[in-house]
Amino acid sequence: MEKDFIIAGFGGQGVLLAGEVLANGFMLDDKKVTWYPSYGAEMRGGTVNCTVVMSEDEVSAVQKSQADYIIVLNQASFDKYEFWVRKGGAIIVNSSLAAISRKREDINYVFAPITQMAHDKLGNIKMSNILALGILAKISGVINLSTLENALNNVIPAHRKNLIPKNVEALKLGYEYDLLKV
Amino acid sequence: MVAECVENKKVLIKGNFAIAQAAINAGCECYFGYPITPQSEIGEFMSGKMQELGRAYVSAESELAAINMVLGACSTGVKAMSSSSSCAVALMQEALSYATADELPVVLVSVMRGGPGLGNIYPSQGDYFQSTKGGGNGDYKLIVLAPSTVQECADLTYKAFYLAQKYKNPTVLLADGLLGQMMEPVEFKPYPYPEIDNSSWALTGAKGRDGRIIRSYAPLADNQCEFLEKLYEKYRKIEENETEWEEIGTEDADIVLVSFGSTSRNVKTAAKLCRQKGLKVGVFRPITLFPFPNKRLNELADRVKKFITVEVNMGQMVNDVKLAVNGKAPVELIHKGVGAPPSPEDIMSQIEELI
Repeated sequence: MEKDFIIAGFGGQGVLLAGEVLANGFMLDDKKVTWYPSYGAEMRGGTVNCTVVMSEDEVSAVQKSQADYIIVLNQASFDKYEFWVRKGGAIIVNSSLAAISRKREDINYVFAPITQMAHDKLGNIKMSNILALGILAKISGVINLSTLENALNNVIPAHRKNLIPKNVEALKLGYEYDLLKV
Repeated sequence: MVAECVENKKVLIKGNFAIAQAAINAGCECYFGYPITPQSEIGEFMSGKMQELGRAYVSAESELAAINMVLGACSTGVKAMSSSSSCAVALMQEALSYATADELPVVLVSVMRGGPGLGNIYPSQGDYFQSTKGGGNGDYKLIVLAPSTVQECADLTYKAFYLAQKYKNPTVLLADGLLGQMMEPVEFKPYPYPEIDNSSWALTGAKGRDGRIIRSYAPLADNQCEFLEKLYEKYRKIEENETEWEEIGTEDADIVLVSFGSTSRNVKTAAKLCRQKGLKVGVFRPITLFPFPNKRLNELADRVKKFITVEVNMGQMVNDVKLAVNGKAPVELIHKGVGAPPSPEDIMSQIEELI
């Protein structure tokens, strides 16, 4: 069984880092996992995405044109990736930076004002990416919160370890977000 | 960001970092390089780690300089390497020819991107010819190893250093942009190979012994004939001892898919999908591109009905598969010019068209 995840947004929103935390979490759960970035002539403010594939066996294709779960942190990514969600899958939309709309009936939509929540409750919009992972953990059930906490510890370098408690708070905030609230 | 690499602990890192860490574990004393996407992380990692360890790191003024620095360092008997990509590896071809003639254990990591010319920075397998057929002059071979996972990026880097030393022949680790840029868990084991004694030839200063010269110039025709025969005797030995490949489901296969490197990941899944449809499909993955597993492919051709190579280039390894099969079975090609490999579903539907 293979599960595919795409995280997309503006360069600078921490899209690649969120993917790295997620992938580390799967590794800690003893799954096979790959992380693949969009790399190219990218720049700050441009679009960026990464694909994380979790599998019981060796991962085959590391780049996908469909995924089970997609997180979009801005409008441009929502416009593009809404159609990449596999039937029955889910898209988590940052409604602070993307308008609420539903063009499909065969997928699940989760709208959350991710940037706003990070600003109001954590005092730092840079936490948006990790907050979104909390929401993903809740709706997908493929990874638990404590694993993601350990993953954060793997990814955040020694001289930034002081940021871990705040990021754990972000994870929890996402995890506890009322999914029915739009 | 680079995870701290500790022996026997799984870490999630990019292929490029895995290669660099493995080179350090293998005892690489000198790194010479010039940055180019998609392999710049190798130099980035080395620039910090090598200095911490008191080893040599030089950001060279050009690729030409970098590879010639590797030749110089190798001639003194230390393990040395460079890394680069496609259009920049092209600049190193002359030095690689010299290194085979000088019998120097050069290690070069080639992380392929799109070509020809400057091309683009996306993954490609377009330098199969460049690495296995060479762009330098004269009769020579490079040992070429092709990883397909980040774990293999590490393991085959170890092997590249070992084979280079063992056979005194330049060895290329042939990865691609996908392997270089992707992250996957990897576990570093200690360098598993014996150290090779090079005291009989290394240039270490002539104190207490006669001076030595390493050169590739043979003014008399007979000398050069003799040298070439000796060189090719070595290549035959390498073919005999070091040919490596992976086979999946070939025992009863009617169709065998042949692919190397990152593409073979997708090919393995394509074969599984074909099996689910009742097609007897197997996978053959050369791990050494030189020496190429000719003999085994030829054996398989006695009963396999069709070979299909899958490559991200316009069709390069397909020629070697045809030579190996030697007319015993048809050899077809599924390919994509550049970029991530075709999806397993795409490969399967192309297989269905070919049969």
